Order: sequence, then structure tokens, then C-alpha cells
Amino acid sequence: MRIITAVIAIATGTLILLGYFFEAFTDIQTLLLNWAVILAGVAAIVGIFNLIAVHADKIRRAEKGSVYSALLLIGLVGTLLVGMLLTPRHPVMQLLLNGIILPVEAALMALLAVSLLYAAIRLLRRRTDVMGIVFLLTAIILFLGSATLPFGDMPLFGTLIHPWVTQIWALGGARGILIGVALGTLTTGLRVLFGVDRPYGGN
Amino acid sequence: MQGKVNKMNIPLDLLSGVLSFLFTILILSYLIGDNPLFRIATYLFVGIASGYVATVIWWQVLVPRLMTPLLPALNSDSLALKIFVLVPWLGMAFILMKISPRLSGIASLTMAFLVGAGAAVIIAGAVTGTLIPQFEATINFFDRDLAAARNIDFLEVAGNGAIILAGAVTSLVYFHFGARPQADGSMRRFGLIEIIAWVGRIFIGITLGAIFAGVYAAALTALIERISSIFDFITLLRTTFGL
Repeated sequence: MRIITAVIAIATGTLILLGYFFEAFTDIQTLLLNWAVILAGVAAIVGIFNLIAVHADKIRRAEKGSVYSALLLIGLVGTLLVGMLLTPRHPVMQLLLNGIILPVEAALMALLAVSLLYAAIRLLRRRTDVMGIVFLLTAIILFLGSATLPFGDMPLFGTLIHPWVTQIWALGGARGILIGVALGTLTTGLRVLFGVDRPYGGN
Repeated sequence: MQGKVNKMNIPLDLLSGVLSFLFTILILSYLIGDNPLFRIATYLFVGIASGYVATVIWWQVLVPRLMTPLLPALNSDSLALKIFVLVPWLGMAFILMKISPRLSGIASLTMAFLVGAGAAVIIAGAVTGTLIPQFEATINFFDRDLAAARNIDFLEVAGNGAIILAGAVTSLVYFHFGARPQADGSMRRFGLIEIIAWVGRIFIGITLGAIFAGVYAAALTALIERISSIFDFITLLRTTFGL
């Protein structure tokens, strides 16, 4: 089984990759990607059913916090049934999206404003090295350059320093980080294609 | 008919407002510490969001790409069409084997397919979406013709380009962790690498500070929007019920 899974992964990856560079492989690449989209969807559904199984097991064992698991299951199964019967475009599903999902996401994002401020204060107290000071100094400069202050814009900050820091200095570091991430991604992908890494198992 | 629609819309809008108000209050209650109200909201959110995602996958991926083509393919005389449509069904059957611990090994066939496809997509994405555009954008700063075409002073552009190039190179060097054992037994990086990495730390600090400022501004905007929505809802209630 180990050899079969490795052959499937390497052949699939190679054919899709060839499709990006040679026109002759475009059709097979489209077909394989279409299958991958379908199977990724099925995998996601299996993952959601695993979530149901884990929380149903917690309720069955009457573990601590099983009330919350019950709420999760009610929400999940209820939404799933309504969605299967009515489609996601139905007003009831839109109500769930606009009334619960989006406001909760926005409120969680709002909580981040407090958490980040707390984290910044902790950083200042615990780590006062060069990187920590540069980090906070940059953040303060950018706030001063973009905030609407009661006495008007601060001279030079909004027009000169803010764009210079974000578009030149921060861009340099960001570019290094992005290239580093891309090189890491490339290496990981190539290790899978060469069969060095086999995260799909198949013993 | 229009009246019916309006009658339907008003309760749905009101209900949406009530739910939005309620869940915002429950989530923001975390500001006084972790509490049962916050947990109720988060668990319900995870359940409803998972259910919503499952229905979207069902209606937008599985029905049009898996279910709908099945009957026409089975009725067709084309063997190729039958294979094209039946392979994902076979893959789905393999994935479902994961439910049984005894048969879960068979699911690795489909997982291998997905990992192979994912590896190819990320390789192409990393090369064509990040590496080439980032290299090109860095090189363009030193293109005299491009600067002239944009009517910008070349020295100014090249100066900025030099800072960006230095930032990119030193940041990359910062993540080089190759070290050699010293006479005293400690592990240290090569001296020049250490100096360049120190400069890289400054650039990374500036970049993370800029990202922090951006994320904080977005979070602050979300907080203001949520507080504003609470006040809007209270105003709506007062005007609707004449309170």
C-alpha cells in the first residue's frame, strides 16, 4: 500500500505541475484539479461528521462541558438540516449568516483590539531588546501617521514618515519573509513530489 | 404580494438585528473574563458555522460536480465519460472508509491523491505567485528605463530599492540557523552571518510593527462597528416600538 499511495501522490502532483508549464497537459490538469476539489469537499464533510462524533461522545460520557457540546450539536445539526432542505441562499440561512456568523466574527475581531493592546504592554514590560523597541516604535509611528487626532494631522507623520516606513522599510522585511515562506513551501511541495515526505500514510 | 414580502422582511430584519445584538453582547462579555455566556456564543457559533460550511459544500461543490453529472454519464455510451464521473465516487467511497478503524487504511489512497494535487498547486503558487513577482518587483527598482517612463528620479527609486533589497536579503539571512561548534563548546553562527542577521532583525521588527499597526487598526474598526451596531439596534427598537 505504501508504494501505491506514493505512486498516486507523485503521479498526480507531476501531472498537475506539468499542466502549469505545458499546454498538452492542461486538460488532464483541469480534470485532476476538478476531482481534487470534489474530494476535498468530501473530506471537509467527513471532518464535520467527525466533529459531530467527538461532541456526541462527550455528551454520551457526560464529560465536563458537555452542555456546550450539546449546544454545538444543536447548532450544527439544525443548520445542516435547514441548509440541506432550503439551500444556503434561502432567507433563513441568510438570517443565520447575517445574524450570527458575521456578527460573531466581527465581535471576535473586536476583542482582538483589547488583546493586542494587552499583548503590546506585556511585550514592553518583558522584552525590552532592540527588536521589541523597533516593533513598538514602528507601530506607534504608524498610528500617529494614520490616526485622526483632535488637533488635526501631525506634521510629516501622515505625509512622509508613514508612507516611507510602510512602503520602503516594512516592505523590505515583508519581502524577505514572503520569499522565505515561498522557499519553505516550495521545499515542502518538492519533498512530497519526490516521495521523501509521505503525510498521507498508507502502511 | 408586495405587502406580504414587506411583512416577511420586517420580522427577518428584526430577528437578524436581535440575534446580532445578542451574540455581540455575549462575545464582548469576554472583556470581563472567560465566562459561560462567551462559551455558549462560541460553541453555538462553531456549530452553526460548521453546518453552514457543510451546506455550502453540498450545494456548491458536491451537487453540481458529483451528483448532477452521474445519471447522464451512466446513460451515455462513452466509457471515458463514465470513468471521469465515477472516479470521484470511488475516491469518496475510499474517504468514507475512514469512519471504520479497520478499513481506514484504504482512505490513504484518496489522501495521497489530495496531497499530491496540493503539493503541485503550492509549488506552482509559490513560484508563479510569490517568488517570481517578488524578485521582479525588487529588480524593477533598479530599472533606469522604467523610472524614466514613470517620470521618477532614478536615484530616488534606486535608493529606496537598495533599502528594500537590503531588507529582503538580511531578513532571509536572519532565518539561517546553520551554526558551528566553538572552542568553548557553544554553537554560534559565522560572524558575518551574525552581523547581517542583526540588521535583518531590525527590518523584521519594523515589518511586524507595521503588520501589528494594520491588524490593530482593523480590530479597532471592528470594535467601533460592533458598538455602533448595538446603538443602532437600540435606536431601531425605540423607533419600532415607540419606546
